[in-house]
Amino acid sequence: MSDMETPEFRGRGEGRAGGEGRGERGERGAKGAGGSKGGFFRRRKTCKLCSEKVDYVDYKNTKLLLAFIPERAKILPRRMFGTCAPCQRKVRTAILRARQMALIPYSTE
Amino acid sequence: MSQRQYEILFIAEQNLGEPEVDALTATVKGFIEKENGTVDRVEKWGKKRLAYSIGKNREGSYVLMIASIAGSAIAEVERRMRVTDGILRFLAVRIDAEIKKAERKKTIRGKKESTRRASVREKDRAFEGGAQ
Repeated sequence: MSDMETPEFRGRGEGRAGGEGRGERGERGAKGAGGSKGGFFRRRKTCKLCSEKVDYVDYKNTKLLLAFIPERAKILPRRMFGTCAPCQRKVRTAILRARQMALIPYSTE
Repeated sequence: MSQRQYEILFIAEQNLGEPEVDALTATVKGFIEKENGTVDRVEKWGKKRLAYSIGKNREGSYVLMIASIAGSAIAEVERRMRVTDGILRFLAVRIDAEIKKAERKKTIRGKKESTRRASVREKDRAFEGGAQ
């Protein structure tokens, strides 16, 4: 956890993490620099799965799951994607299952 | 004994041809039927590249089965699959509860939609009534 806070990691992460994760980080940096008065506001993230009405997160649906794993194939925390807690749990189990069945990698290189 | 729906996915080794994979599928089907279960559906995904190599296999043939079988009997099927040659990996997941949940959610959502629409219609009607 501690190495997450190092600026080096954040710098690297900015280029790598796709989608909402990047936006989150960028905004956090912006907020730190400009403050809440500076016209920046944090976009409220919504749960993608809830808004798209996915009822069952299938481990066989790799297309869906790949949206939740960045390049390093780690499962990112909820704050990066804005998924709600029940959805994150579903995604987690689905990813673990898909990994076991060699549908998605445990890690890349 | 109540039957439950399971989804069994297994990977066959890469050096097995299609007839061998079919034979393997039949064997697994035999395991299920021996435990008084029924196979509802078989899906062959064909040879797929694995996300990582298992043993010395870089590829594997995936076969998906939807089966109705008692919850207490699935352990025996799993045990047999574990000792069967040619099966790299398998995963049995109970899906009936999940399907039910998803359907319930869908109906609730449908109701919400329809009630919302109904209330909108009512408001429209009231508005029109007031205008006349």
